[in-house]
Amino acid sequence: MKKLNIMLSATVGFIGVAMAGQAAAAPSCGSNTGEAATGEPIIVGGIHGNAAPGDFSASTDAAAAYFSCVNANGGINGRPIDYRVENDQWNPELASQAAAKLVDDAGAVALVGNGSFMEMAVNAGTYAKANVMVMASACAISECFESSNIVSTNQGPLPSNLGATQYAQEELGATNVACIGLNIPNNGPWSCQPSIDLMKARGGDGSMALLNPGAPDVNSALLESIANGADTILMNLPAGLAIAVLKAAEEQDLRDSYNWIAPTPLYDLSVPEALGEYWDGKVWVNAELAPFHLNGADAQNWLAVMDSYANPNDPRDTFAQSGYLSARFFTDTMLAMDPAEVGDRAKVTDAIKSIKGLTSDLMCGPYYVGDSDFHMPNHAGYMLQMVGGGFKVVRDCYEFDSAYFEPHIALEKKLGLR
Amino acid sequence: MLPKLFHITPSGAAGILFAAFAFFVVPTLAGSLWLSVFTSMGCFTLAIAGVAFMYARLGMVSLTQVGLMGVGGWVMLRLNHGFALPFEVNLVIAGLATMVLGWVLALPALRLRGLYLALVTLMAAGGLEIILSTFQFPNGGSGFWGVQTGSGAGFRRPALAQSPEAYLRYVVAMVTLAFLFIELHRRLAPGRAWALIRRSEAAAMAAGVNVTFYKAWAFGISGLLAGGAGALLAGSLGLLDGGTFRASESVMLFALAVVGGARFWLGAVIAAALFRVLPALLNNWGVDADLSFVIFGAGLLHAVITAPNGIAGQITEFFAGLSHKLSNKLGLVPSTVIEGSADD
Repeated sequence: MKKLNIMLSATVGFIGVAMAGQAAAAPSCGSNTGEAATGEPIIVGGIHGNAAPGDFSASTDAAAAYFSCVNANGGINGRPIDYRVENDQWNPELASQAAAKLVDDAGAVALVGNGSFMEMAVNAGTYAKANVMVMASACAISECFESSNIVSTNQGPLPSNLGATQYAQEELGATNVACIGLNIPNNGPWSCQPSIDLMKARGGDGSMALLNPGAPDVNSALLESIANGADTILMNLPAGLAIAVLKAAEEQDLRDSYNWIAPTPLYDLSVPEALGEYWDGKVWVNAELAPFHLNGADAQNWLAVMDSYANPNDPRDTFAQSGYLSARFFTDTMLAMDPAEVGDRAKVTDAIKSIKGLTSDLMCGPYYVGDSDFHMPNHAGYMLQMVGGGFKVVRDCYEFDSAYFEPHIALEKKLGLR
Repeated sequence: MLPKLFHITPSGAAGILFAAFAFFVVPTLAGSLWLSVFTSMGCFTLAIAGVAFMYARLGMVSLTQVGLMGVGGWVMLRLNHGFALPFEVNLVIAGLATMVLGWVLALPALRLRGLYLALVTLMAAGGLEIILSTFQFPNGGSGFWGVQTGSGAGFRRPALAQSPEAYLRYVVAMVTLAFLFIELHRRLAPGRAWALIRRSEAAAMAAGVNVTFYKAWAFGISGLLAGGAGALLAGSLGLLDGGTFRASESVMLFALAVVGGARFWLGAVIAAALFRVLPALLNNWGVDADLSFVIFGAGLLHAVITAPNGIAGQITEFFAGLSHKLSNKLGLVPSTVIEGSADD
């Protein structure tokens, strides 16, 4: 992957127009035979977390849509994918039960599209023991990126925070970044700290203000950040809570006194309207996957799949892109396998671990897995500015400056991807 | 004295049979999902046994039980990550530490009764919820709190119970021991003192019963059971989250102990099944598990209006009536043992 760091000056995308143009395309899925698969189903699982304080079901919704499309187009060599989804409700007991049901009882050959704050921490050991791979899509905690049997298409908060912080330091003049996150050791502190380290390495400073996920008091976190001397507020939170932070700041008219930056969860088409004109042009968001209006072939296919096979109310956001991508990469891998082996979990796991160099215009770099104890194939992204009721790209694909990625870069070199 | 101490009542015999069924049969029949659900249920049976025992023996309402489970789980995780002690040693220390905390919480609350005691214990549960959410559960880090940033370290299950089936058996064995421990207390001096305190504290004091000591002792036992339950839950999952130990869960746990029947061992089992198995069943059927709250509410109304001894009381009365009718039919003298010692 080549370091780009290119500043785009003219790419302004207003998503509604772009998406309207894309909706008419016919979806392309799997073998594209146009005939429904009727053979013995292949069981594939998926776990999302949908409960207060966040809904991570967009990824499994999109994966389900793609698998429905695959099943309507020949399946995996005639065998349909039986995609079973469980909700962990942000509860470790339910997360454990969901994995037990899918991995042990149902005998899923793999899990695809997982999105959660909880289940990866509880189940990473279970997946390794059962030798089953999870091609996740909406990961937010460290276990998702630091385990042998989980690989995610999304970046998670650590790189996305870094991308936003790096941009703020280089372009917005940030000298002191306060990271507001959830007080979950494998989420908030884990993902805030590298951004603080980056600021310190570049002569600035940083701090973190952590929220109780059960009773988040955003106003206190905001005041704590200001008291720490921040000039830039990094909202490392699910979209709903990040909006709450911005609303609290609006009530105190703090907009022009600080830079407001966020990782991917705030890149949601409904956010500009939810925030109103007050915030127009004042919020910068890092996008883990290609912004919707860039309109590449895979981006168009994602929307076509969603329009044809998903519920109209299912979100069309980054996690949905990520769920689609995981499902597509999984399907492509299964189609490349010996048809006699696609129902064998061990063979499927080997095939997934052998993935390298799959590409999509939704991702900045190639997707790979490899046989290692860490996986983070996606660690480059875009920077967007919320403006005019939508988002515009202010920096194209760029890699993030952190020692955290050294082992990933070494692995990519070993796999011949650099 | 000894024959009376070890006398097995019909209710006790049914309990032993049920425990044997849960130990030998359930793990072999249950799939992986239900092994996990029944293990959780077993942990909460232990906690409910503690809160139900305090309510049934002393009329004391404790709304801290789930918070105390969190304390037991915290100690278990801290010891597991910090020292190379066997699981059983950690389990005992977790239970004892929670028992001591139960005593500390009990001492200022002992002069209170009824609603005021309930409110004080609820405040304690709220405090524990904030502490656990703020400082989190140990995950292999250093220092007193033992929390490290990023991924947690692995958890060591008991040597005897590495597989999910064996761990369920382990939990069932612990719950059975806990019920026997409660029954032992009921049959010895503490049981007699509690019975007297329940009828009248003034009469108990006049009879020479140290009311403060025996009330604190009951709080301690309840804390011990809650701590053990939290430690076993930590062993089941390998990690814990503050969301599991909210104060509202303690209120729900007490309400379900009343619905199940606080005076009976079966009541604790029914309450734990409602608390953990019913939502899992609804989830498994694709129905929103929040529907279980509606069912819990209906169950509580049912208990308050028509079944003060809970569902277990109704079941026990049914079998007592059946036995009475059978005895009359056969011309036998009806057994007084059934009604007299159905508790626990």
